[in-house]
Amino acid sequence: MSKFQTVDFYKSVNKDYKLLPFRFTELEDNSYILTNIAGEYHVVERETLEKLIRHQLSSGNKDYLDLRSKQFLTDQNTSVAHELLAIKLRTRYSVLPEFTGLHMFVVTLRCEHSCPYCQVSRQSDDKLAYDMSVETASNSVDLALRSPSRAIKIEFQGGEPLLNFDIVKYIVIEANKRKQDKEVSFVIATNLALLTDEVLEFCKENNVQISTSLDGPQELHNKNRPKPEGNSYQAAVSGIKRVKAILGKDNVSALMTTTFDSLSKPEEIIDEYLKQGLGGIFLRPLSPYGWAIKTKTYTKYNVDMWHEFYVKGLEYVIELNRQGIKFKEYYTSTILTKVFTHNSPGYVDLMSPAGIGIAAVIYNYDGTVYPSDEARMLAEMGDKYFDIGNVNKNTYEEIWLNPKLLDAIEDSFAYSVPMCNECAFEDYCGAEPVFHWGMQKDIVGRKPESEWCQRNMKIFKYIFKRMEGDPFVKKLFREWGQVDA
Amino acid sequence: MVQIAFDANLYSADHLKKAAYKFIDKFSFQVAKKGPELVCDLELNPNIGNDAEDYYINQFKKEVLDQELRDKLKKETEAVRNLILAHTFSKTGLISDE
Amino acid sequence: MLKLQANTTAHNSALENDVLLTLSKNSNMPHVLREKMAYFLADEENIPKGFSAYLTYSEDVFKAASRLSNLFLLPADLSYLAEGDIVRIATNGKVHSLFRKNSNHNTMLLTERCNHYCLMCSQPPKEVNDDWLMDEALELMELIPRETQNIGFSGGEPTLYGDRFIELIQKAKLFLPNTAIDVLSNGRAFKDVSFVKKLASINHSDLVLGIPIYSDDPERHNFIVQSQNAFDETIQGIINLKKYRQKVEIRVVLHKQSIDRLPNLCEYITRNLVFVDHVALMGLEMTGFTRANLDQLWIDPIEYKDTLSEAVAILNAYGIRNSVYNHQLCVINEDVRSNYVKSISDWKNEYVKECDGCTQRNSCGGFFSSSKQYRYSDHITPYS
Repeated sequence: MSKFQTVDFYKSVNKDYKLLPFRFTELEDNSYILTNIAGEYHVVERETLEKLIRHQLSSGNKDYLDLRSKQFLTDQNTSVAHELLAIKLRTRYSVLPEFTGLHMFVVTLRCEHSCPYCQVSRQSDDKLAYDMSVETASNSVDLALRSPSRAIKIEFQGGEPLLNFDIVKYIVIEANKRKQDKEVSFVIATNLALLTDEVLEFCKENNVQISTSLDGPQELHNKNRPKPEGNSYQAAVSGIKRVKAILGKDNVSALMTTTFDSLSKPEEIIDEYLKQGLGGIFLRPLSPYGWAIKTKTYTKYNVDMWHEFYVKGLEYVIELNRQGIKFKEYYTSTILTKVFTHNSPGYVDLMSPAGIGIAAVIYNYDGTVYPSDEARMLAEMGDKYFDIGNVNKNTYEEIWLNPKLLDAIEDSFAYSVPMCNECAFEDYCGAEPVFHWGMQKDIVGRKPESEWCQRNMKIFKYIFKRMEGDPFVKKLFREWGQVDA
Repeated sequence: MVQIAFDANLYSADHLKKAAYKFIDKFSFQVAKKGPELVCDLELNPNIGNDAEDYYINQFKKEVLDQELRDKLKKETEAVRNLILAHTFSKTGLISDE
Repeated sequence: MLKLQANTTAHNSALENDVLLTLSKNSNMPHVLREKMAYFLADEENIPKGFSAYLTYSEDVFKAASRLSNLFLLPADLSYLAEGDIVRIATNGKVHSLFRKNSNHNTMLLTERCNHYCLMCSQPPKEVNDDWLMDEALELMELIPRETQNIGFSGGEPTLYGDRFIELIQKAKLFLPNTAIDVLSNGRAFKDVSFVKKLASINHSDLVLGIPIYSDDPERHNFIVQSQNAFDETIQGIINLKKYRQKVEIRVVLHKQSIDRLPNLCEYITRNLVFVDHVALMGLEMTGFTRANLDQLWIDPIEYKDTLSEAVAILNAYGIRNSVYNHQLCVINEDVRSNYVKSISDWKNEYVKECDGCTQRNSCGGFFSSSKQYRYSDHITPYS
């Protein structure tokens, strides 16, 4: 019918396009990843990138439509890009005013294990010296509830929290009493060796979840986590069974820590997690704090060795999924949430502004407040830089407006520092002031010299390279990126 | 004693001082403006061996670059950063409404 | 396929205006209610008085009762009419079914005017003043039974009525407070925030705007709907509707012009419109303009089944509810089945000879009558 126009009628005359803000980083030879201001990505060849920037990209180029659709450029055929980008940017930052959501309570430093990589514990029976008192607990609960967050999570740590279960109970009961219309959830990070029916019953009645350590199959786990006069692995595994039976599968999770001995066994460790019926694994690197440095377990492996371990582990997990087994790697999925959605995965280490204090806080057994668990570990090593107050002596204002905290957040702001400012992965990464203070005595850190940066950079590049050209992995990763998936 | 000159158009005394401070346990530092240049006099601490001198000078130059870039970026991105941090603290009751 | 309107075979109409009447078979209907009703005459004995019209399918009855005024002899085509249905009887005797009580979805045409000219439009636009359709819709709000679960409004472009459109939604809320409404619209009028505010202030409890987006490529979308700036204004409209918490469904008709970038469109939705309430992926109907543009539009669904799977997987990953309509089971992949909806609307579905012996017929929606008549997949294969 002559009343219909052709498609060319609706294409604009080939005028110039406008670039929208974006950053780019090399992915591999001839391949670049671009990220727009809302953290959305596209991969192009170098030649395309150059043409794009020099305003030489023709509208017939195979990437042109995608680049316009994904808001890397805009032209006179559309003008909604700016508003959409603004909406998405707002969404990405919308969780910030919720402020501190994770509140860790170190209820005791005492522990009956003696893991070489442990940051903090004390093998001791001296309760007075190393247990959190009722007064400290009560003041900590008040501070936690002072957060504007509509929902907070209280995580019990140690040492071994079950060694001071009375205070755990006190905190749960008091928090529930005082919470008004806040939602409060609870989790105990425990090695499960001291799990009793009483503990399980209390957890069931009060919806307390359990998080435990499982480093791999028995031999590896016990080597990493020696328990004088005992078998840590057996305790963990039978503990997991009991918790599942009483609290349910969704209420128990496990974390692994990588040591030098773990590095050659990624598949075995993952198999152990499968065996215990866990839905995923968090491949965590060894952090450079606490006993780890003292016993030299940290210096033993570096970025490359850990990356090799991570890749083997991730590939094994992908293979499992290809066979129809639903299993996730959680560090990857945390990053993927930032790649595929504008939601925050709520993972403190991958936040900018840094999550210290404003997303997480830790109340030590003696009332000292630290803005992250790593900061506490640094203090145990003698560096009290991040000591920002005491629950028994300081007010909420004094603690959260402590200049040391505010300066650290402001100075480490990733968008404001060299290299991060231009990095295509900045939206997926984090500021990490505590790590850099610990390693370089510098809140910002020189990123080229930073193991944090190197490690993450390798992971980011690996993730994106893996998705390009493998539709199965892209589909899997897209699913992993969903919050609550 | 080592002398290093920096182009005063590209670097400020503040950058040099901040960088030098990080090496206060390695060398002492003086800076003076001479024409278009900022000239730094670095005197190695007695406990630093001469073979380490090149290493620390190198590190110092890197640190100067670092400081200059950090300063520039911090200023350029100030508006965005302040917006985001204000937004972060907006519900805490810790900042006063103006 | 049901014919929704037909000429009466014979009548002795004394109507001065077109009327809307509810159909009744109840000879004991209270007198006060008969004025708004038409009565089904089974025989010429004991004719209850006071109805505004009398309907029969029997020629004998018609002859015998011919002294009645406003008696209409209906053709067999209209034999589906049932008690509780609402019809328009025109002064010239034409009968049009407007509301069928037994249908699980009734849609009212508000206008044939439109500011788009979609290549595949199933209701080709006409530049006529058909405001009377809006008058009728407003009247229908008072006649449609209160327990009706849902109704739809379409066109043409309903929002061309501006404030009268708002008035209609408001009236629907007042007279049919428990009835869900879906409106088919290109959404452009909602780029005007004040218009959205008016709609939002009605605070309807269950209103969905069904708005088409055919591509993430603005030029292609504009080409398909044959209107400049359509893409931008539609997106703007959706954003505004969502700002004011209105429910939005995105509708995509799948054909040669829209299918290539369907996964890109779905990704675009997950990035920019992730808050939409539903996405409808619909097969092509062979009515209206489609046949005239068939060479540009036709693609055998079997050729795009993998693309469809990819698109559905993207939406499913993000938890965006989506449905696949107007396809046959044998031309889609297994992985789309959980999103597959069987029903083409109940007056449209049929099967073809290639379906003979298929064991999955009961789960399959079949074909549009128009598709059966003019064009359907060359790969219809019965399941055994």
